[in-house]
Amino acid sequence: MAAKKNKGSNQHMRNLIAHANPKAVAAEQYRTIRTNIQFSAVDQEIQTIVVTSSGAGEGKSTTAANMAIVFAQAGKRTLLVDADMRKPTVHYTFSLINSRGLSNILTRQNRLEEVVEESGIEKLQVLTSGIIPPNPSELLDSRSMDQFIQQARESYDVVIFDAPPVLAVTDAQVLASRCDGTILVVRSRVADKEKAVKAKEQLLAVKTKILGVILNDKKVEAGDDYYYYYGE
Amino acid sequence: MEETISLKELFTVLKKRFMLIVSFAVIAVLLAGLYSFLIVTPMYQSTTQLLVNQEQTEAANVQVSDIQANLQLINTYSGIIKSPAILEQVSTQLDNELTVAQLNSKITVANEQNSQLVNVTIEDEDPYKAAEIANLTAEVFQTEIVELMNVNNVNILSPAVVSDNQSPVSPQPFLNMAIALVVGLMIGVGLSFLLEYLDNSVKTEEDIEKVLDLPLLGVINTMDNKDVPNQLHLQKKSVGSRSEQYGS
Repeated sequence: MAAKKNKGSNQHMRNLIAHANPKAVAAEQYRTIRTNIQFSAVDQEIQTIVVTSSGAGEGKSTTAANMAIVFAQAGKRTLLVDADMRKPTVHYTFSLINSRGLSNILTRQNRLEEVVEESGIEKLQVLTSGIIPPNPSELLDSRSMDQFIQQARESYDVVIFDAPPVLAVTDAQVLASRCDGTILVVRSRVADKEKAVKAKEQLLAVKTKILGVILNDKKVEAGDDYYYYYGE
Repeated sequence: MEETISLKELFTVLKKRFMLIVSFAVIAVLLAGLYSFLIVTPMYQSTTQLLVNQEQTEAANVQVSDIQANLQLINTYSGIIKSPAILEQVSTQLDNELTVAQLNSKITVANEQNSQLVNVTIEDEDPYKAAEIANLTAEVFQTEIVELMNVNNVNILSPAVVSDNQSPVSPQPFLNMAIALVVGLMIGVGLSFLLEYLDNSVKTEEDIEKVLDLPLLGVINTMDNKDVPNQLHLQKKSVGSRSEQYGS
């Protein structure tokens, strides 16, 4: 199993700002992303979205969680799936117990409705990773995964997958090939240009639609203060 | 790789590495100051002025060729002063304290523009020594030239004197420090651009457009911890069946 390298602790950044402080600049920025995703697909509805990045520690989980929140806030029945079955974190974010989850569904031990959990946010439900399996890539590449996605599509308006990094393991590629669109999270000042390009190529290789890039953790420069909250 | 750099980007880079540039400049100035004030031995200069008085055959009309001849004569004299013929005698009179080569390196002969004046300048750690050598050289030259060129047309116009509180000609601490400041700034600026060039990380929206060629969905600013309340109020609902149970 490929190990993910840990680029320092970003635990304090993993927060649900879109829920905790909807007037924060970042919350507004997540809503902008939601709008852009909704408008990025004209001919096809984007229902299943994979959130990934080139390397570890770029803010995939935070982005995925906050995007799920802003979609739920827009009135969409939203499911956030922790598809990172190697280093799951979604249950920490929502203070859930990760005893059963995606891996249990994919190994046909449980059904979706048995293991899905309420996030505490209206219209947002969370599926944790479940017990860490020895073969995450194979599970994601299975027929039961197709069935799971099909079922999720029927039950929810938006399904967001929190995936492992593209360059570390193949999971994100496998997921991306099955979903409507992929979002690449790029962390400012951390992500390597060449690695980001490589990640893009690997995603394109599986014929996924890359919806676009989210530039994460961008330092606020003096003079960029037009991001202030407009309503106050 | 083709790069277009805007003026604004240049200023951003300079601003970002401001401390680096300033520290390089400060360190360079400090080093130059230390070097100038503490390490280098100060050198003093003394000048003897000679007047080459060409005999005028006809004072009425000075020909161009005469001026040319004068200049050539003075150039010849400059060479003679620095020749071993003169310097060996100076060396002997100084009790062989300095070799001919050492003397040669201390002496500068310059003629003033369009005149018949020749300046013999000596540089030495000791101002008195410098004056002594300058005067000695001039005297030896004056006597020797009679023999060498069969003319007696060299006069010592003003002998070298040591004034009180004579300041050394080198080092020039402030000039050195100014040069160091400029060099330090240049190194700092150069290094900042090098670092910027070597930094291969994605930083701005423009980078994403240029490097990835993918649409930008959005930018999330660095989150301020003050934006986030410590306590998240997530009301946990019981794990339900698939039918949605929406709270509050």
